[in-house]
Amino acid sequence: MQTGTKISAVAHGLLLSWAFLGGAFRSDPLPFEVQDVTMISAEEFDRIAGRSAASEAQPAPEPTAEPAVEQRPDPVSESVPPKARPEPTPPPPPPAPEITPEIAALVPEPPSPPQRASERIAPEPVAPPPPEARPDPVEREQVTPEAQADTPQEAQDATAPEEAAAEIVTEAEETAVLAPTRSPRPAARPPRRPTPAPETAPASETETATDTATETAAKTEDAVTAALTEAMAGARDATPAAPAAPSGPPMSAGEKEALRVAVSSCWNVGSLSSDALATTVVVAVSLSQDGKPQGETIRMASHSGGSEAAAKQAFEAARRAIIRCGAKGFDLPVAKYDHWRNIEMTFNPERMRIK
Amino acid sequence: MTRFLLCFLLGWAFVAHSAAAQDGGPLRIEITEGVIEPMPFAVPDFVPDSPAATEVASQIARVIAADLAGTGLFREIPAEAHIGRVSDFNAPIQFADWKAINAQALVTGAVSSSGDRVTVRFRVWDVFSGAELGNGLQFAGSRDGWRRMAHKVADAVYSRITGEGGYFDSRVAFVSESGPKNDRKKRLAIMDYDGANVQYLTDSASIVLAPRFSPSGDRVLYTSFETGFPRIYVLDVGKVQRRVLESKEGTMSFAPRFAPDGQTVVFSLEQGGNTDIYIMDITSGGTTRLTSSPSIDTAPSYSPDGSRIVFESDRSGTQQLYIMPASGGDAKRISFGQGRYGTPVWSPRGDLVAFTKQNKGRFHIGVMRTDGREERLLTASFLDEGPTWAPNGRVIMFARETKGARGETTLYTVDITGRNLRPVRTPGGASDPSWSPLQN
Repeated sequence: MQTGTKISAVAHGLLLSWAFLGGAFRSDPLPFEVQDVTMISAEEFDRIAGRSAASEAQPAPEPTAEPAVEQRPDPVSESVPPKARPEPTPPPPPPAPEITPEIAALVPEPPSPPQRASERIAPEPVAPPPPEARPDPVEREQVTPEAQADTPQEAQDATAPEEAAAEIVTEAEETAVLAPTRSPRPAARPPRRPTPAPETAPASETETATDTATETAAKTEDAVTAALTEAMAGARDATPAAPAAPSGPPMSAGEKEALRVAVSSCWNVGSLSSDALATTVVVAVSLSQDGKPQGETIRMASHSGGSEAAAKQAFEAARRAIIRCGAKGFDLPVAKYDHWRNIEMTFNPERMRIK
Repeated sequence: MTRFLLCFLLGWAFVAHSAAAQDGGPLRIEITEGVIEPMPFAVPDFVPDSPAATEVASQIARVIAADLAGTGLFREIPAEAHIGRVSDFNAPIQFADWKAINAQALVTGAVSSSGDRVTVRFRVWDVFSGAELGNGLQFAGSRDGWRRMAHKVADAVYSRITGEGGYFDSRVAFVSESGPKNDRKKRLAIMDYDGANVQYLTDSASIVLAPRFSPSGDRVLYTSFETGFPRIYVLDVGKVQRRVLESKEGTMSFAPRFAPDGQTVVFSLEQGGNTDIYIMDITSGGTTRLTSSPSIDTAPSYSPDGSRIVFESDRSGTQQLYIMPASGGDAKRISFGQGRYGTPVWSPRGDLVAFTKQNKGRFHIGVMRTDGREERLLTASFLDEGPTWAPNGRVIMFARETKGARGETTLYTVDITGRNLRPVRTPGGASDPSWSPLQN
């Protein structure tokens, strides 16, 4: 027997021994829940059953009154800055770059969507409304004119809302207005505060009262200024050569194709010479945010395949195409403006040549 | 494994390209499909500087518009549709008025008249760019030559927009025909390219054939049967004087054509039942034989650089096209399609050869590359023949004859794309056109 075979046999033997003896095939028990069970005798059961029957005879406890729904604060009232108190106030603290609660309160909490009464199919058949009532979203009681009444009463049928709708109305189909219906009127801009003199006389009571609102605004203004200064300083420290990367999602293939088709429809090569039809030009153009090409930015970035004169003709045809079809603005997503602000269009007439 | 690597590389290239497209650079798109349609243009009446110039100013504008629209590359927006008015040649253009009617090119001009002299000034505008194409230009001439001035303006406009030369200020020599086919009278005539200003150069006493302009446009070669035999004549167009080119007794000379130098004529000479191609120096009368095959070699035409000659020959059994060096020698066949090919003419650009093709009982005018590739038939009719090139190599004129004993022969033009087939207005029947170069 060869040495290799011996080594293999020994190794296999060791492996099998370890597998069986070492617990390789042992697995942890599956987890399961454990619940304690107590055995009771028949007497004990009867006794417990008799006690529960006696307890049913006792009156049910009075239901406790529902807690009053907490009144939601009116967003309008929150946003109104607190009125200045007439009493004198201590000198204002130094401005701190913190957001005042008044600004945070300007965003009202959206009201919770209204509860739908019965605009969905009930899971089980429900009783129809009373026969004398007709379906109506507004529930009214029946009014029967009384003969002895002093004032004549108009007869009115009882109405009740439908218990269930004929079709399911999902929440997605509801036209719930989540936007706030009212917004706080923005406060008038406070007058610019004059620079305080180094030594100022103590303000009188009335002056202090009127300054309270402006101080709050001034604090905010100083905070914004400080933040802007900091941001500007940060921008200056950044590497100036690095271009700002476009924000937002990239242009999809469909959006690019739509732009390509739009320009193609105006690219008229019928009046181009053979030389110009053999010239590929790359035209750079900048678009404004409404998708309109800025005429003065259209330039020929490069050309290939033809003479300068032919490239000039080809460029003019390309420029006409861009301006004509972009006169009303190309249909481009505004959110991706950074991506299509600058465009390089390659006009390749290879397939338009006379074959 | 190879496939896996290929997929990996393609995927990597796609990702790299996508990343590159999003690295903050411009959005890049490639446009390979465009449209081919006439460009809308407007030519409002030119502004006259005096009441005497009013009529000619309007006429010049109309001829310019007709020239441009006749190319098929442009479409005139009629004056009735114009919103803007040009009442002052130097006033700034209100481009919005012309954009509103989708005029992409605008030609404005002014005409001044002083005695018999007429001066035309004009500018060409790219409406949507709001820019002028080229600079303003001025032509001056006699009042009688107003059509030529209009053609020159149209040539300049055409050239500035398309990038290639125009062909409007050119003339066409042709054979004017009248009478039924069995008694047809033929006269040599010359006219503007658009059929205006027809002049007759010969009377109808004898049959004339195949006029051919010289490269400078001052002379015309043609074949006449005055003596009963075909003889080649050279006619001075300006003086209407002619002289016969010497030829050997007992031979027939025909199908002459000038070489690009204007001093040499290449022609066919039939001798003893064999037709070969010769060249002749006009001044000395010396001839040189270029082909010597037992077949019929005829219809020679020089390349623009004068280095090669295309001709037709039946040496293969059927009429086909061949190219040989201008000094003679080995000829290379370039036509291999079905049917018979004849009357080849080399394009002024040098890239194409126009020809007449007869196949399955129909005639075609076609073009092909000088190596025979990309054959393209432009027309098809009962009888189309005799193509001649416009000076810019973009348009071909030919003669079309209708069926029957009283069938008429008419001149037509067609673009080398096969579009824009148009008849040319002539006083009567016309055949054998020869387009002159642009006039000076």
